[in-house]
Amino acid sequence: MSKLLVVDDEDHIRKLYKDFFSREGYNVITVATGEEALAAADNEGLDLIVLDIELEEESGLNVMKQLKERHPELPIVLNTAYSTYKSDFHTWIADAYVMKSSDLQPLKNKIKELVFT
Amino acid sequence: MLEFATMISADKHTAFLRAQFDDSPLGYFLVNNHAIIEYLNPRAATIIGFGAVEEGIKASLQDIDSIMNCGLMEAFGSILGGRVYLKRELSCSNRQGHFAILNIFCSPFRGEGGEIIGVFGIIQDVTESSKKKAELEEAIFELSIMSQVSEVLSSTADLDEVLKVLMTGVTANQGLGFNRAFLFLADNDEEYLEGKIAVGPGSPEEAGQIWSRLSREQRSLKELLDDYSERENQSNYSLSSLISGWKISLEENSFFSEAINNGYGINAHLEDFLSGESLEILKRLNTWNLAVAPIISKGKKLGIIAADNQITGKKISSSDVNLLQTFANHTAVAIERSRLYDNLVEHATELEEINRQLAESQEQIIRVEKMSVIGELTSSIAHELRNPLTVIGGFANLMLSAGGNEANSEYLNIILSETKRAENVLHHVLDFSRASRTKTQEIDFNHLVVRVTNVLAAKTKHRHTPPLLKLSEQKLAIWGNPDQLEHALLQFMLAATEELTDDCRIEFGTKLINSTVRSTIGFIAGHETRDKVIKVLKQIFGSPTGTQKLSIIVAGETLRYHGGNYGIESSSDDLPKIFIELPQYKGGYDEQASSG
Repeated sequence: MSKLLVVDDEDHIRKLYKDFFSREGYNVITVATGEEALAAADNEGLDLIVLDIELEEESGLNVMKQLKERHPELPIVLNTAYSTYKSDFHTWIADAYVMKSSDLQPLKNKIKELVFT
Repeated sequence: MLEFATMISADKHTAFLRAQFDDSPLGYFLVNNHAIIEYLNPRAATIIGFGAVEEGIKASLQDIDSIMNCGLMEAFGSILGGRVYLKRELSCSNRQGHFAILNIFCSPFRGEGGEIIGVFGIIQDVTESSKKKAELEEAIFELSIMSQVSEVLSSTADLDEVLKVLMTGVTANQGLGFNRAFLFLADNDEEYLEGKIAVGPGSPEEAGQIWSRLSREQRSLKELLDDYSERENQSNYSLSSLISGWKISLEENSFFSEAINNGYGINAHLEDFLSGESLEILKRLNTWNLAVAPIISKGKKLGIIAADNQITGKKISSSDVNLLQTFANHTAVAIERSRLYDNLVEHATELEEINRQLAESQEQIIRVEKMSVIGELTSSIAHELRNPLTVIGGFANLMLSAGGNEANSEYLNIILSETKRAENVLHHVLDFSRASRTKTQEIDFNHLVVRVTNVLAAKTKHRHTPPLLKLSEQKLAIWGNPDQLEHALLQFMLAATEELTDDCRIEFGTKLINSTVRSTIGFIAGHETRDKVIKVLKQIFGSPTGTQKLSIIVAGETLRYHGGNYGIESSSDDLPKIFIELPQYKGGYDEQASSG
């Protein structure tokens, strides 16, 4: 069973993604901060991280940079309400960029593509 | 006895007179009562025209008077009767034929017993001083004319008024007194002269009427100049039409080109110029003698003033030409000043226009800044809304996929559809806010329209044929944020196409009307599709209840922030059109200063 980490400061988003992707057959861990995300990446043997950019205490882009330094092969999907970050070159090291939407199909497809290839 | 006694007495007096007056600068003479000169001093001999004093002694006063015609013989009898004779500034010719102006004073000459024995006279040659006096008076007259003309000219900067004052001054009796005057102005490149205006009576009869009226009114030159329209009459128009549009090359040899190229006045006589352009000028002006004075200011050839005495036939003198030239020089300054004033007015107008544009661009910068702030604000609100929508829609999806009763499924589908709708609205708002961050710049409106229709075609290709474009061939420049305007136009186009099918094609036109770039969205369809079009218009302009699509509200605001607007263009025999207007960009905004 593939293990996903969802990093988002919003409780309901974390709950939604955990429920949705659990039903899709993933083992889902959720955290709210960058620090917790780094710890989980070091210790949990993850297959993919879904990372929000606008975290409450720090930028998701900084967290991504540290994650990629420590685990360069670990796929990261940036998941945000902001389309503007697409043009920010700091986001280009992410493996995918998916806008938040009530339709979770695009995110599901992208995760499947990254985990199983 | 008596004659002898008189002779003795005369001899005595002659000796006395010689002693007293021979060295005097005035002429003195003594005539006996037989009108024979008994004494004259050297100065009197010179004035009368004798070679020497001796030549004059015993000469007859009658002989002298018949030559000089100074009226002495006529007065002789009355002087002998005890009266005096005085003539001032008498113009005459002396015995040598020389012209002279004389003052003559004669009184009875009495013997020792008090009896009148002759006439004693003093004669003074005032030719030189009279000439100087005449010159002085002429100079004062000229100065008076110039002063009055100058006073009137200084009160106006209008070129037409300056020229009319000039023409009035040349032709008024109180001025230079020419019968007719013609003005030719040089072109900017000083290649030719062109007839501008002419003043003067058309015939001797008319001249008589005008001049007698002006004479009765006894108006001063300044009064005439102040009211130059007084001299505007029908004849002036016909005279003006005589020279209007007449071009005389300054390359060709004529007294006009000679005067203006060399900068001096010319007294042109028919007998002096028998050929070529000069003859043509005299013929066309129907004159035999013309005074010509160039109008030149600081080396710039402004034109020619020509004047004649065609009605009175009075010959033009060189002093007339000189006076006309002085007048022309004076006018040159006024014309130059008037042209400078016109330039000043022109520059002031340009400056005003630049200031207006500057104020407009500053206003636009403020609008753009506001737009940018609004963009930021809407962006953060939109992002804040996107998370809850994701959660609501996401859980609804989850519940739906988990299955349940039919009623719940229906409700969940409604939640999902409304969430999707809300997300679409956010998408538009985010597009707008992203556009707000783009720099403002000059935009080719036609290119923008083409870009928008391409985007539209890509978005609606499965449903519609692309819009028909009828773009202006003129370059339509506008100023603003290209992304914002593209977004706004696209919203209008999308709203217009949303309810329509291919049986109603859209036509997008552009044109320039009075500094406004106007585009129209027209509907090509029969009247049966009118209901559809009205529905579209309701979406764009709002329904009677006041509801309007958010995307159109934002697009409309974008247009207004760019100084534009939108509305409906009604047509009696066609479907109504939507028009969008934006101000034409004529250059002048500082791109850096106005960047958002």
